[in-house]
This record gives sequence, C-alpha cells and structure tokens, in this order.
Amino acid sequence: MKGRRGLIGVLLALSAALAVVAAAYATPDRAAAPATPAASGSALVKCGKTRTIGFMVPATGPAASIGIQQAHWANYYVAQYNKTHKTKIKLQLEDTQLGAPTGTAEALKGAQALASSPNVLAVAGPAGSNEIVGVTKTLKDAGLAWISGSSTRTTLTTDGTRTGYMFRTVPPDAIQGPTAANYMIKTLKVKNVYIIDDQEVYSTGLADTVQQVLRGAGVTVGRDGVDQQQSDFSSVIAKIPRSVELIYIPWQLPPKGQAFGNQMKSAGRGSVKLMGADGLFDSSFASVGSHVYDTNFPLNPKSKIVAGFRKQHGGDGEYFGAPTYAAVQVAAEAIDKACKSSGITTRAKVRAAIRATKIPASRSLIGVALRFNKNGDLATAKKFGIYKSNGSDFQPVAG
Amino acid sequence: MNWSLFFDLTVSGLTLGSLYALIALGYSMVYGILKLLNFAHGDVYMIGAFIGWFALHALGGPVNPDFAGAAVLVVMFLTAMIGCGILGVAIERFAYRPLRNAPRIAPLISALGVSIFLQNSALLVFGAQFRDYQTFSLIGVKTYSIGNLFFSVPQLLTIVSATCLMIALTVFVARSRLGKAMRSTAYDREAASMMGIDVDRVISVTFFIGSALAGAAGVMFGLVFGQIYHFMGFLAGLKGFTAAVIGGIGSIPGAMIGGLVVGLAESYATGYLPQGSTFQNLYVFALLILVILIRPSGLLGTAVVQKA
Amino acid sequence: MSPDDGIPGSAEAAGAPRIGVDEWVASVEGKSERYTGVRGVALREWDRLPAPARVFLCVGLAALFPLVTSDGNVFRYGLFTLVYGLLAIGLNVVVGFAGLLDLGYIAFFGFGAYTYGILASPQYNNHWQAAAAIPVVIVATGMLGFLVGLPSRRLVGDYLAIATLFFGQAFYVFVNNANRIKFPFFGHTNLTGGSNGIAGIEPFNFFGYKVQGTRGLYYLLLISIAIVLIFLFAVHDSRTGRAWRALREDPLAAEAMSIPVNRLKLLAFVFGAAVAGFTGAIYATIATAALPGDYNVGLLITIYAIMILGGFGSMMGIFVGAIIVSSVPELLRSSANARPLFYGVILIALIVKLRPWRRFVLEIGALVAFGFAVHAIAAGVYPRLVHGHSIGNDFFARGLDHWLLFPERTKNMVDVAYIILVAAIVILPQLGRIWRAVLLPPLLYLLIFVWENLLLVQINGATRLILLGALLVALMIARPQGLFGKAYVEIV
Repeated sequence: MKGRRGLIGVLLALSAALAVVAAAYATPDRAAAPATPAASGSALVKCGKTRTIGFMVPATGPAASIGIQQAHWANYYVAQYNKTHKTKIKLQLEDTQLGAPTGTAEALKGAQALASSPNVLAVAGPAGSNEIVGVTKTLKDAGLAWISGSSTRTTLTTDGTRTGYMFRTVPPDAIQGPTAANYMIKTLKVKNVYIIDDQEVYSTGLADTVQQVLRGAGVTVGRDGVDQQQSDFSSVIAKIPRSVELIYIPWQLPPKGQAFGNQMKSAGRGSVKLMGADGLFDSSFASVGSHVYDTNFPLNPKSKIVAGFRKQHGGDGEYFGAPTYAAVQVAAEAIDKACKSSGITTRAKVRAAIRATKIPASRSLIGVALRFNKNGDLATAKKFGIYKSNGSDFQPVAG
Repeated sequence: MNWSLFFDLTVSGLTLGSLYALIALGYSMVYGILKLLNFAHGDVYMIGAFIGWFALHALGGPVNPDFAGAAVLVVMFLTAMIGCGILGVAIERFAYRPLRNAPRIAPLISALGVSIFLQNSALLVFGAQFRDYQTFSLIGVKTYSIGNLFFSVPQLLTIVSATCLMIALTVFVARSRLGKAMRSTAYDREAASMMGIDVDRVISVTFFIGSALAGAAGVMFGLVFGQIYHFMGFLAGLKGFTAAVIGGIGSIPGAMIGGLVVGLAESYATGYLPQGSTFQNLYVFALLILVILIRPSGLLGTAVVQKA
Repeated sequence: MSPDDGIPGSAEAAGAPRIGVDEWVASVEGKSERYTGVRGVALREWDRLPAPARVFLCVGLAALFPLVTSDGNVFRYGLFTLVYGLLAIGLNVVVGFAGLLDLGYIAFFGFGAYTYGILASPQYNNHWQAAAAIPVVIVATGMLGFLVGLPSRRLVGDYLAIATLFFGQAFYVFVNNANRIKFPFFGHTNLTGGSNGIAGIEPFNFFGYKVQGTRGLYYLLLISIAIVLIFLFAVHDSRTGRAWRALREDPLAAEAMSIPVNRLKLLAFVFGAAVAGFTGAIYATIATAALPGDYNVGLLITIYAIMILGGFGSMMGIFVGAIIVSSVPELLRSSANARPLFYGVILIALIVKLRPWRRFVLEIGALVAFGFAVHAIAAGVYPRLVHGHSIGNDFFARGLDHWLLFPERTKNMVDVAYIILVAAIVILPQLGRIWRAVLLPPLLYLLIFVWENLLLVQINGATRLILLGALLVALMIARPQGLFGKAYVEIV
C-alpha cells in the first residue's frame, strides 16, 4: 500500500506540472495569436504550378448520394479548368460523412486537415449547415475562406460570426421560402397546404419560412415531420386530410421525394400537387408526374456546361451539385487573381479576392452573375426559379 | 372514428410489420442458438435488396422484362434469398465461429466490423446513388379500392408472401429433423452435441435461413418503397431487433408477433398521436420498455434466470 | 483487407485450445512466460509494473506528443483519441467493472455538452465561469445517470441494454425537437436549438484563463484523464472496486455474499455518466457547438469498439483501442500514407504466417512471377487491360505499371474483382494446406489489383471504413479478449 501512495503522489505532481503547461498554452494573448505560422492566414504560400483547393463533401455516410453529385460537379470544373489553363488546380478531398452516426466529428477533423496543409488556399464546401457551425472556428483560425454550394440556413451569413470567411453560391432559405410560398398563394391559388419536413436542419428551416408566409396569407397549413432515413410514408400519407390541395416537402434526397410521390399514387391520391425545394431538384423527383413543382436557383439546363456534364454522366444532370461547380469556380478564379502579381500569396489575399469576385452571368452556370454582398451571400440572386415537371424533367415556368 | 384512416394505417402497419418480422426472425433464431446479437443482420438485408435489383436488371429491367412479371419476381426472391443465405453462412464461418466461446462481447465487435465492412463495400461497389426498383413498371400501378379504402399490389404481395414464408418456417422448425435439431441446440448446445447433433451444421443452417429471410425482406422493401441504398440496413436492423425483443428474443413465433406489433405501433403512432411521425421511433421504443417492464422476457419469451 | 492475419482456420487447428475454456486462459497467460529475449523481458516487466506507474508512463508519453508534431496532427490524432479515450474510461466503469450493458451512454455525453452549452453560450446569454459550470455539468449528468440507473435494479443483461438504448434514442429525439415542445412552467423556449443545435459555445474560462487552442485542450484532456485514472486505481482495489468486479463475474453469487448489488449498480451508472458529461462539456468547447447529430448511436458503437478492442476492463488497453479506432481512419485519409501502410501490413502478416522463411521467399517469388506472366499475356491478348496507370509518380508506382493490370474504364471489372476477392478470402482458409500454398500468390495478386485499382482510388471514401471494419474483425479473431484484456472464462 505504501508504494502505491508514493506513486499516486508522483502522479499528482505530474498532473500539476501538466496543469502549468496547459495554463501556459491557454493564456489569452497566446490564443489570440495564430498557433503556427503555417496555419495562419498571413503565411506566405508559393502558388506554384498546381494550386490546391480544399474540398469538403459527404463522400460516404447517409448523405453520400448528394455528396457524390457535388464531387462530380467539382471534378468536372477541375477537368475543364486544367484543360484550358497553364496552371493546374487540385482538389484535396476531405470526407465529412454528413448525417453520419458520429455527427460532425469527421467534418471537424477534415477541416483541421485542410487548415494544417499549408498548400490549401481556399475551401469548397462543407455541404451541411451544422457542419459549417462546427468547422467555423477551425477554418477561421487558419485564415481559410470557404464557399458552400448547399448550406442554406439564413443565419449562417447574417449572424456576423463568419463575415469575410464564409461565402455561398446558393441563395439562403430567406429567399427560397418566400418564392415558393408566393407561388403557391398567387399562381396556384391553393387554400390548404400540408408541410412535411424531414427533421434535418435544411428542411426545418425552409418549412418554417414557408409556413410563416402561408399563415400570414390566411392559408390553412398542416405540419408534420418524417425521419430522413425513413422510406415508408404510407402512414403519414394516410393522416393527410383529404382537403389538402398541395403538399410541400423541402427534403434533401430526391429519391425520397420520388418515393413519397409514388406512395401518394398507390394510396390513390396522385392528384394532390407536390412541391419540393432545391434539394429535390432532380429528374427522379420530376418523374413522379406533371403535378410536381420545385424551386431551384435559376439554372439553365440548356447551357453548354450543363449539357457537357450530362453527357459525361450518362444523361443525369445531378443538379443539386451544380452550385458546387460555381463554388470551385469562385475559389479557383480568386486564387488565380491572388497569385497573379508575384506568384506568392496568402490565404488572406485569397479571401479578399473571393470577396471581390465578379463572374458575369455568361460564364456562370447558375444563371446569375457571381458577386457577393457584404455577408457573403450572392448579391445577384434575389429570386428562385419555379419549375414544373413535364412528367420526366423539370421545366422553368413563369413565377 | 375515421374508418378509412384506420384501414390505411392498418394496411401500412401490416406491410411494415411483415418486413420487420422477417428481419426479427433472423435476429431471434441466431440469438436463440448463439446468444449473439448479430449487428450485421441489417446489412445482409440491404445486400438482399441489391441482389434483387441486379436480378431484376439481369432479366431485362423493370420496363421490358424478358419474362412475365410474376416469373421475374420469383427469380428475384430466389436469388436474393440464396445469395443472402450464403452470405450469412460465410459471415458466421469467418467472423463468428472462431469466437464461439469467447467472452460474449467479442463477437459483438466482430459483428460490428462485418456491418461496417458490408455497408461500405456496398457503397464502393454499388455506388452512393439510390437504386430504383420501378415497381410501377414491373407490376403495374394498380391500386385496388373498396369504396374509400386503398391498397396496392406490392403491399398485398408483401403481406401474403411474408405470411407464407413464416408458415413455411414454422412447419420446418416444428416438423423436420433439422428443425428439431435447431430447437434442441437452442435449448442446450452442449447437451445437443452430446446427443450426436452436428451443432456446427445446425448453426450454419440457422444463419442460412435467417439471412435468406432478411434477403426476402430486402426485395420486398424494394418493391413496396421503391428505393434501396447502402445505408438502409441500419434503421431496419434496429427496428427488427426491437421487434425480436418485444416478441421475446429467441422465440420464433414471438419474432413474428413482435414484428407486426412494431409495424402497427409505428403506423398508429404516426396517425393518431400528437407529432406522431416526428416522435415515431420514440413511441415504438416506449412500447418496448413497457413490454419488458411488464413481461421482462418479451411477449412469448420463456423466463430464464439470466446471470450475465 | 490483410488476408492472413484474419484467417480463422488456425483457431480451430488441432492442438490449440478452444477459446473460452480454462486451457485457453492458461495458454494465453503462459504465452508471456514463453517469450524470450527483449520481447519477453519487456512484456514481463510491463506486467510487473504497478498500475499507477503504467499510467505515469502512458500519460507522460502522451504529454510529449504535441512537442514533436504540428497543431493539425495534435487535433486530428491526439484530441479525438483523448476524447474517445476518456469516454471509454467512463464506459469501462459501467460495463467493464460493473458489467452493466449501458447502450444509452452517449446521451450523457450529449447531456453534458448541452448543459455546458446552455451555461456558456449566446443561447441564453449565460457566460459562466468554468469553475462553476463544470461542477454543475458533472452533478447534473450524475443525477441523470442516477435516474436512468434506477430501472437497472429490475432489469438484467440484454434487457437493461434495450432500456438504455431507448433512453439514448429518446435523448436524441428530444434535443432535435425541443424547440417545438411546450414545457410546463417555461412554456415555449428554445432550449436546445432543435436541429440547429447550440452554436457559439465558449471555451472553458478559469478566472480569465481561457483554455482554448488545440494544445490547451489537449493538455486539459490529458490532465482530466490522469485525474480520473488515479481515482479509478484508488477505487479498483477498494471494497467498492472488488465488489464491482464480483458483480460482473457473477451477480447471483455477489448477492448471496450480501454485496449491496443495487447500490453498486447505481454508483457505477452515476460515475460513468458524470465522466461522460464532463467529456461532453470539453467536446462542446472543441466543436464550439452542441449539435444533435453528434450524440447518436454511431458514436456509442465507436466507444464500445474502443473499450472491447483494448481489452475488457483494462485501462491501458483503452488507450491503445482509442488510438487504433480514431487514428487508423485518419491515417488513411491520404494515399501517400495508405500505400506503405497497406503493403507493410501485408508483408508483416506474410512474414509472421509463412514459416519457415523458405516458404515466404517461395510464395513471394511466385507472386512476382505470376504478376509478370499475367501482365505479359494481357498485353498481348487484350491490351486495354494494361492501358491505365497507377496513382502517383514515384519509383514504386511506375514499377507497378509494368507488373499489375490497370484496365482502362472498366469499373465493372474491378467491382467484380472486389467481390471475387472477398469471396476468395473467406473460402481460402477452408481449403487444404497445399491448395492454400498454391492459391496464395494469385490471391495476393488479386488483392493488390483491387487495392490499386479500386480501394486506393476511393481511399477518402468507403475504403477507410472498409479497412476499419476488416480490422475490427481481424483483431477480434486474433485476440478475442482484446489487446490488453485478461483471458477469462465467462460464466453463462
């Protein structure tokens, strides 16, 4: 027993020593300064012939199906760029496993991997709004700007904590929600709407916005939620009152929208209008029938870039990934600008260049010029496009 | 009382319930014999759904099948069941048999490894996108209605074929020699092996049957709900496990009843309880707790003194 | 997939005792005596060290880690290993000591994170000092543990597992939807932020000293672990510790010996919960947010894997388990690491398994010859099979181009090869000795083919997890008692 007491004493002394070390590291002034030069925003980086853009997507896990679309679009841009430019770009992919059982831990580690790779000059992604909340501190401390092609929670850019660091090439819920709601009220003139969210951040945000606008206009609104992993909707469908004229399902996985539409049909209620959001903008959801509507950023399906992409991917547009193309484009062009004069740049310079992005609508895939307002949102996207299915694909209609 | 709603909910509950019952059977049979929670079972079910899809496309696809729809269905079910059965036997031989007498928690981790492995292998080989069974093209959009009450062909098909499978299993376990061997092995493995029963073979057969049933459930899932993807086994496995416990884990009729109870509870909870579909899983688990507090060994389980 | 260290046939080989019987325990314990040379001395000395000295060594080594590497590495490897390790230590008290299968453990982790988040974030504009917030978190989580532990008096074994699993699920659904619930007394309040979670959680603030930055958090975690471990070693040999172990081995016998079973179970629950809650608070400051998805079943599985891999009930094992489970997938994030790791593991496995060394040389020689033959035939018959290129541009990669098939745009072929490979690895151990020796080179060639053409290409995606899954199975088969666990016979 005596020996053990002694050892415990030693251990206590050791812990005390550790505490001192920790305190030394934790003093406020030290924390304010960047930890290592390589990771800070002001460190000089040689541009070289190959420039690296960090790329955070859910390559595996439950949301892999949208992550792969984003990766396809990003790679498509890189391939095009490398064909036409002398300098090359390279994506450093970090898997975030969005929606995975271990939560945002993977995104955190991926962000840290990017932050500590000195060659990474900017980041495209991450996909999810909660992932962004999680990685904010890591990326900000490293001085990295990130451009998301799919996170739509309004407050991400407006709450001020990410100004100058976060940008997005997809308009937020505050624009998409009202566009959808106004179309329901003014053009479709429905009086009774049922909203089903999938309990994920993206979905509840949009659902809340639409619900608010509809209630304000005196429309009867019912609300329900499903699990994102759920595939059986028959009991939810059974519960929807017969008087409902339109069901709004702002979900993220187009196949789930398709399954819902098909199960509506097998329940004999195929005539009720369905409306999705940009997460469902995909031919698989459109294939449910011509009673399906959707909102999406004003993407032009006839543009050459889209046609080229579809050709390469067996005819599938994978439109959810399209804003990621724009995100990589913004990053690549900003890096080029920041590298132009001396061949040496910093992450801070790249950030400034992103902030000053001006890509005209003619070179922009998503239909509008790419310019950011002071929050980091697209200054040009004031409105979403409204689409209606022709039975197999979405066609734009006048909103 | 809104009878049309009640009917809809019941049909959807029975459909789901038959799927859960088929999955629960695999859990329960394996647990009965090995006292092992086979975490990889949900992923076997997922593989079954994919095998069915590939069989469907090997036969010309759902739009222009090479044979009549019914024949295609039979082939899909058979290939999925046989494929999953073999997969189950292989998993047992490779990952569980070497750990037969190890501390009970070791095979649990091994099962977890198999589950991660299968899930991501499917992601690697089949891709991340959802695969569509396009049931509507295969067996027609026909929806039968009696007045206000609707049910679709795939739903009916699922309920009927699941019932047939369960009856067949019950007869097999009750009547055949192998079934008797299974029952005695579950009762006392060591005594059974002393009586000259080839325990290894019985365990292989058990895994084959349990996995084949899961494979059939996978195909049914594809037919009823349309889409299949690599992550679908996780939730289904959890539900199947719940069903097995509610029914009394280790008991075969218990697993069937447990599956139906969970399916119906889920459906009724969605329809009748406040914020039903949001809290659906919670209501189902609450039911589970209620059952094990009142009858700790499940609805049809036999009470045993459990030391571990 | 390393083909050889996972092959189970050897476990049934004649002569080796069956796992889980007394002879097996004896043979495992005897092994460390048999080793000679440096390895034997090191193993025996390690066993002879008093437990606190082992902690001292491990913690001391871990404290050096940040001094030799970059912040990024400390964050990715160190921080998460320690978070998972601390969680596993707490879980080990509940499961490893007291033998209670608690599947709701992660909820305590989440509860700690949310509680701290409410006390120190803009959510309710609370900005508590850490010295006040941490005790509140610990006590609150402990009390929750007490409440959840109450049914443990009635439920045994797997049924307790189910009840706690329900609690874990309930917690997840609750925090994900609490913004829609109307509470008694408080009415509508955005308690947990719903699916948005609580953002902007502040670092621990000890009277003005803020523990932040990767290194600060790392040392904080290390100190916490040291304190918890010291406490546990004190408990381990006390009356309570001995009673806990008695409870695990045989609850009936323990009760017959008039050990207060119920009180001890509750105590274990409360202790585990408190540790998890504290870890949760730390994790909240690392992530600067509490998000509902972070506290779901998946993490629980990870923590269980760590605990069991390291060795049930063994404190040292937990660290090794944590390092394996949290670092291996991280290491595999880049193909530059993955390739040497992969070939290294295969080589070592072959060297260990193929004795005498003549057999090893023969098999490797056959493998090399086989590769060149296949490459030559393919180049003559169907040149598209060799048109592709391997990843990378170093000497090794260029060499591979002349030896291995790299088919052009034939994803299907590679997929089929993968399935065949998995089937072959399962079947091979069932064959006879000669067949195994003959088929090994083609199997290895197939393995390398699949690795270079499919797995390495997807290294950032599915591959890492596939390898993790395979590693779990292989490790369990090789050492069912865990890496550092004691072999024992389970009374069922």
